[in-house]
Amino acid sequence: MSEQRTQVSIVPDTGFINLRGDSQDADFLNAAEAATGQRLPVKANTVSEGELRVYWLGPDEWLLVCPAEKVADVISQLNEKLSGLHVAVNDISGGNTSMHLSGESVRALFSKGCTLDFHPKVFKAGDCAQSGLAKASVLIGLIEGGTTFELIVRRSFAGYMLKWLRHAGREYGIEFT
Amino acid sequence: MLLIECPWCGERAETEFSYGGEAGIVRPAEPDALSDAEWADYLFNRTNPRGAHRELWNHAQGCRRWFGVERDTVSYKISGSFKLPSGGEA
Repeated sequence: MSEQRTQVSIVPDTGFINLRGDSQDADFLNAAEAATGQRLPVKANTVSEGELRVYWLGPDEWLLVCPAEKVADVISQLNEKLSGLHVAVNDISGGNTSMHLSGESVRALFSKGCTLDFHPKVFKAGDCAQSGLAKASVLIGLIEGGTTFELIVRRSFAGYMLKWLRHAGREYGIEFT
Repeated sequence: MLLIECPWCGERAETEFSYGGEAGIVRPAEPDALSDAEWADYLFNRTNPRGAHRELWNHAQGCRRWFGVERDTVSYKISGSFKLPSGGEA
């Protein structure tokens, strides 16, 4: 039996865009879909995956994640399609870091520092949640069909987060790539 | 540890929230028309009940929305959460 080891990789050059608008407004949702090519998730704590990963952050707030070189295009599309609506589009790429974690022990590892329930019956593919991990504010999403956890932290917390993961993940043979 | 139900995210641990005091305090429309005593009453005096208390909470480490909670100040039992009249949807 080959136990899949817990792997962590920082995804370099990731772009982040914060989008705010009224989720009750069909015009806004349609315009955002026209700009991004995918429907904004309106169900709380879910992530939709397409060209972009779109995380639900609040009833009027989303986080769009994409390769850094696409950010300018996405923002100009959003600004064009959403013009005239009461919205906010902000490039927050400089302030965040994305890590991808895979392996059998990621759920157990997160459970050591987070109050969320990571049981597979509770935290399923396409789910996301903002919470605290080892006291750092984080956004955790289960993406790519449930094989990968994306962990998004403030850039200034990335070093601390990696140190905590290295320490807490030692018993699971954590590897950093 | 309290389990607090955010109207959007569901039950989460108390550590994700910050407390915002008594709910339903309305800022006077014309502060200039109030006496000092009335203004001080608005600013400082709270009901501080023994028992059911409606209070504000912010889901600070989650969706960052304000909402209301009804909590018993003796038993700490939470009987429910509610969205504020402003909705917080937009």
